[in-house]
Amino acid sequence: MVSILRRLRRTKVRDYAYISARVRVMRRSLIPADEYRKLLNMEFNEIIRYLEETQYKKEIDELTHKYSGVRLLEYALNMNLCATYNKLVRISSGIPRALVTEYLRKWDVQNIKSIIRGKLFGFPDEEIKESFVGAGEYKYEDLVALLSRDTVEDVINALQGTPYHEILKEVGTKPLSEIEDELDKLYYTRLLDIRPESEDVRYLLEFIRMEVDLKNIKTILRLKVEDGTYDEIMKSIIPGGYQISVDEARKLANMSWDEVMRGLESYWFWDAISEKVKEGAPLSILEVYLDKYWCNTVISKSNHYPLSILPVLAYIILKKVETDNLRIIARGKLEGVPKEAIEEQLVIV
Amino acid sequence: MAIETGLIAVGAGLAVGLAGIGSGLGEQGIGAAAVGAMAEDPEFFGKGLLMTVIPETIVIFGLVIAFLLMFMFMGA
Repeated sequence: MVSILRRLRRTKVRDYAYISARVRVMRRSLIPADEYRKLLNMEFNEIIRYLEETQYKKEIDELTHKYSGVRLLEYALNMNLCATYNKLVRISSGIPRALVTEYLRKWDVQNIKSIIRGKLFGFPDEEIKESFVGAGEYKYEDLVALLSRDTVEDVINALQGTPYHEILKEVGTKPLSEIEDELDKLYYTRLLDIRPESEDVRYLLEFIRMEVDLKNIKTILRLKVEDGTYDEIMKSIIPGGYQISVDEARKLANMSWDEVMRGLESYWFWDAISEKVKEGAPLSILEVYLDKYWCNTVISKSNHYPLSILPVLAYIILKKVETDNLRIIARGKLEGVPKEAIEEQLVIV
Repeated sequence: MAIETGLIAVGAGLAVGLAGIGSGLGEQGIGAAAVGAMAEDPEFFGKGLLMTVIPETIVIFGLVIAFLLMFMFMGA
């Protein structure tokens, strides 16, 4: 009896029920798979007009007098993504809120990377701002305030007291790519350090570990294609993967491309890419198939465990995939890339 | 006689009360989900309301048991 009562108290059904039902309805407003075929046949301006009739209307209306072309699209997509993610935090409560907030810190890392990289390479502020998604702890205004500092050192000093500062202190002494890898590692280590005290947190941790696997395998494959050395690969590997632990990564890093491809057969994502590997598809296609498989895995897991954080994470991923798809189509159209080539790069689920 | 009547009354009370607690526990998730869905799309009002009150049937069973107890045994 006591254990049942404790269980009932621990699993806050209503917190998950509310947010899962809400994101399920929100998922209906995502662009459906068959609409992408239509979008592929449109010109850039038609795509913008199409987006004005969707959930992106507010952002496009707001920005249309300030920006045009690709910049308008970039700002609108990022602002919408940011507004959607912030809404998820706003409408959730209790444990789900804490978990979503932790997961969205990914954008803090992303934004800090953009600022440091942009400042170091002297990109105009306007271009750096374009990439901001203020969905983490740092909101858009905070990021603009950070960006307004004169030098990279000022930006790093402004971040004193945050966990990022320790890593960023080494800008200038270490290569930037290494620092970026360290930031990624810090993000995932912090997430994986959450104590798995209840079932819902365990779902999140499993999800994160699978995401780490995909990130690691993409890193390994990319560096193999670029003839990266063993050390380069191992520096970028994030510990804590589901199947690709650091030891597994070591094995893969020592193999040649063909051996890696054969070695992938034992991993959970093999089904996604097996046919494409046999066809000898390029890495970009393999990555698209991995992403598609990841989306489908997350959706099916979220259907299995509806009263968990997974439906929210599935929505977060699907929303990101949607904005990426729209960006690929619009940019592709503007550059005159053939329809078929654009379609190959889309993650349609 | 007085003790028996009292126990029957307690039994009837428990039947309604426990059924009420049970359906309340069942409804908390459904109600929260219904409100969540409705917040995004008001069209879910009808469906949400229907789903939310389904566990209420359990309370009706409890009520029936309570009435049975009272009318069958207390009257006797």
